[in-house]
Amino acid sequence: MKDIIISGRMKMADIISHDKRALVLLPRFGIEMGVGDKSVKDICNQKEIDTDFFLLMVNVFLNANYFPDRKLKSVDVDMLLLYLENSHKYYLEEKIPYLESLIEEFKKTVDHPATEQLDKFFKQYIIEVKDHLAYEDHTAFPYVAALSEQIKKNNPDISAVDYHIGVFEERHDNIEEKLSDLKSLLIKYFPPSNDRYIRIRILNELMDFEEDLINHARIEDKVLIPIVEHLEQKVN
Amino acid sequence: MSKSIIVAEQSEIIRKGLVYLVEALGLFRTIREVACASALDENIERFQPDVLILNPSMVSGNTLEVLKEKQNGEIKIAAIVYALFDDELMGLFDDVIMVSDTRQKIQKKINALLDKTPAKKNQKPEETLSVRELDVLKLLVKGMSNKEISDKLFISIHTVISHRKNITQKLNIKSVAGLTVYAILNEIISMDEVQ
Repeated sequence: MKDIIISGRMKMADIISHDKRALVLLPRFGIEMGVGDKSVKDICNQKEIDTDFFLLMVNVFLNANYFPDRKLKSVDVDMLLLYLENSHKYYLEEKIPYLESLIEEFKKTVDHPATEQLDKFFKQYIIEVKDHLAYEDHTAFPYVAALSEQIKKNNPDISAVDYHIGVFEERHDNIEEKLSDLKSLLIKYFPPSNDRYIRIRILNELMDFEEDLINHARIEDKVLIPIVEHLEQKVN
Repeated sequence: MSKSIIVAEQSEIIRKGLVYLVEALGLFRTIREVACASALDENIERFQPDVLILNPSMVSGNTLEVLKEKQNGEIKIAAIVYALFDDELMGLFDDVIMVSDTRQKIQKKINALLDKTPAKKNQKPEETLSVRELDVLKLLVKGMSNKEISDKLFISIHTVISHRKNITQKLNIKSVAGLTVYAILNEIISMDEVQ
């Protein structure tokens, strides 16, 4: 299924079972598993999700080469923000605690002075990720929401929102970079130990989280930023 | 135009594509296609090609060594590659053609094969740190800035940065925190030296 453009007629179940990356997308739209044989369009209609928006997001998420330019103008900003916030929730409530518990187990299993440093490195990293997400949740996204609110009015008052999406772009550093360091350390440099399966579990999770973050960043770069720039042009 | 070439590749699309590029070069009198490994030996025997473009997955056992010995190095062999193969096998080829190479690049490579000195192969990158890089790493993970390292080792900041770049490339670790874990694992510094 990789590099295939998803359409509304496809069965939701087929999409998920052919590309497991689609799995994490469903809760971000409030779609639960147990989709039966329903098509993407049926499920979107049932959940009152704009099908075009769903397809846009799925295709950008799954396909690095997909350029959504034409469809950007019709995106509902509130839906987009909800999606992004739900992604952050998944990282904060599911991914990070799970990784933390895995590293904790690794620390208990592997008897090496470097595990303590690895733990420190990881904890520092978690703080950075949380800062990054909090900045977007509490500063960047509320700005976008306020901007889109103003634009709906007859006389948009831009002075109400003192911010610029360019700031977001500048601050948008790669939080997945350090995951790659962790990966190298566990694959190449930690000596063989009695850790058998725990290291596999950590690496699986690191790679999964890394890929999710990269795909997530692509949505912010290719969908969110262009849309907000367009909105900013309207009021200026 | 008396040279001959064999293009041995299972995928028809890729084989025909290569043949098309080879034809356009106008260097070869005979262009022979081989689509399966079992027909390879027989075709080489019959046509005695000057150049062989070969998918490494068609090589079994020591076919390649035997072939090179038999031909006394007369035959130049390039690999056509779109998958991962081990270094030892790839070392037997005179050059490597990537599926993603441009037309110009592929034609240049084939051209070079016909010369006595085939295109230089990529050197395998060094993976162990040099003594100087180890010095920089030690100070770096102790929490020193580029400026402090440059003062301490009597080298320019530019040199410090270049060492740091090499360290990151060799180890595939970018952050100082990650490098610290590496340094402890390899006993480059001890736990107490870390801030």
